[in-house]
Amino acid sequence: MRRFWKAVRAVLVVLVALVMMVPIVWIALAAFKQHVDVYQLKLLFRPTLENFALVFDSPYHLGRKLLNSTVVSFVTVAIAIPIATGAAYSFSRFRMRGERVMFVMILATQFVPAVVIVLPFFLLFRDLGILDTRIGLILVNLSIVTPFAIWMIKGFIDGIPRDTEEAALVDGSSRLQVIRNIVLPMAAPGLVTAAIFCFIVSWNDFLFALILTTNKAVTLTVGLALFQAEEGDLWNLLAAAGIIIMVPMFVLALIIQKHFVQGMTMGAVR
Amino acid sequence: MASISLRSLTKRWGGFVAVDDQSLEIHDREFLVLLGPSGCGKTTTMRMIAGLEEPTAGEVWIGGRLVNDELPKDRDVAMVFQNYGLYPHMTVRGNIAYPLKVRGVRSTAEIDERVRAAAAKVQLEELLDRRPRALSGGQRQRVALARAIVRTPQVFLMDEPLSNLDAKLRVSMRAELKHLSHELRITTVYVTHDQIEAMTLADRVAVMNHGRIQQLGTPEEIYDDPKTLFVAGFIGSPAMNLVEGELDHGRFLAAGTVIAEVGGGTRSGVVLGARPEDLAISEPGTGSFDAEVYASELTGESVLVTVEISGRRIAAKADRQTRRAIGETVGIRVDPARTYLFDTASGDRLAR
Repeated sequence: MRRFWKAVRAVLVVLVALVMMVPIVWIALAAFKQHVDVYQLKLLFRPTLENFALVFDSPYHLGRKLLNSTVVSFVTVAIAIPIATGAAYSFSRFRMRGERVMFVMILATQFVPAVVIVLPFFLLFRDLGILDTRIGLILVNLSIVTPFAIWMIKGFIDGIPRDTEEAALVDGSSRLQVIRNIVLPMAAPGLVTAAIFCFIVSWNDFLFALILTTNKAVTLTVGLALFQAEEGDLWNLLAAAGIIIMVPMFVLALIIQKHFVQGMTMGAVR
Repeated sequence: MASISLRSLTKRWGGFVAVDDQSLEIHDREFLVLLGPSGCGKTTTMRMIAGLEEPTAGEVWIGGRLVNDELPKDRDVAMVFQNYGLYPHMTVRGNIAYPLKVRGVRSTAEIDERVRAAAAKVQLEELLDRRPRALSGGQRQRVALARAIVRTPQVFLMDEPLSNLDAKLRVSMRAELKHLSHELRITTVYVTHDQIEAMTLADRVAVMNHGRIQQLGTPEEIYDDPKTLFVAGFIGSPAMNLVEGELDHGRFLAAGTVIAEVGGGTRSGVVLGARPEDLAISEPGTGSFDAEVYASELTGESVLVTVEISGRRIAAKADRQTRRAIGETVGIRVDPARTYLFDTASGDRLAR
């Protein structure tokens, strides 16, 4: 009986894996196929790197979009994480008036569907003259990513025993030195994890970039739409661009895994 | 080195009073223990000395300086925490060196030498390159101690430093602490709920309850001359026998018991206290009263005999050869000179 359930479990695992992996495998294969081979499901074909060369060339200029995506994502993370760390530390360690309400509000911002707020953003940015700029995109991404990062990092800081910080205070540190010398190193796995999540969210953002950019600040995800041409969907190019989007995420996923384990095993010294 | 002076110190959280208008003078080089049950305000008092908690009212003076508005780092105190408060991302060496580094000692040679000296005092030299998580509880406690002594502060504060150790280690660490404090002669405030720690370590003990010091005195005074019912009941293990009754011309009367010549005149609402070691077991009819043995426990160094009289249990410490069967009737002899009288309502000690 036990063997039977084990077999059932194995089959289910394989099924789930198939459902998840098939599109990715299909794209990975299509990226190296020539246009004529794309609709054929055969696994044996003459692989080509031509698609990658094409997408970086005119008229697609994927390189510029790659740069936009990279700049927007990195700057978003570089701003969001310090702000979120400061906020998370305050929420974790200081009692203030209206703290609970504030904290729930921060979470509540995550409940608002992006579609609802994209229009106000559009009007606002139009009046400010920052439509189709990286700065605009960074601002929007910050508003999405920072609340989430605050929640995440607060969890990690909560896990740092107060004794440790108070020991550092008595040992001669100022509050800022405590944060720099004790809290940040101890929360490092959490910070890295939060940073990677923020990066993924802003890297994968489609809706805001679609509405708020037109030309100069177009990102990779929106750039994919370019491959729906009059002659039909250029699946081989789309797949190649897809790979370019996925690879950094894949690398990040590997790193995150390592840090997750670290974050869980770090624990406090008791 | 410094004296500490607490003047009308109060700490309130909303309606909860943790420390209630408390004044206390701690002498230079004194080892003072704050002793009391959990929630009595002893840790809060210490945290206000350290600057980790802001007093609601009152003043903290260290070495003749009013420090109310000073940050912990400027008070020149060192603290050992119950959970050690070690820095897990630093080695033992890094932990001990931290107070020096953060206070601007730049010379690596000097830091190295002082870390070594501090580590040597607590037998840690072999472990300097380990991380805290690779250490046992006792070793972690030593790291916390070394970190406190590495820079000769004016005052040591210790918040239940031994309570996370197992019983055996606690006894040996207690002796080490005693030796260390004798060697360093630095003003120390030590918080504990363990009366044995208080008795063995302290120059003076402050017994606290409900945010107030009930009695301040040497361990001998606290033990031999408790001023209140609370102190009498809290100090001593096994605890003092406390029996409610009344006084009739210097005789103590309670159900089934008459004890002559305890003094105190005539009044009702009186508690008589007698320590188990001041009671003697005798043959029936020869003691102050007879009672039935409820339990007899050999603790090793002595036998604790508990008797029951009128539904009340009384413990007596007898020598270790004593053997009494449960249900046997024995006499209990009370030495009137070694009894204490308290007012039931106020808990204050009564004059004889």
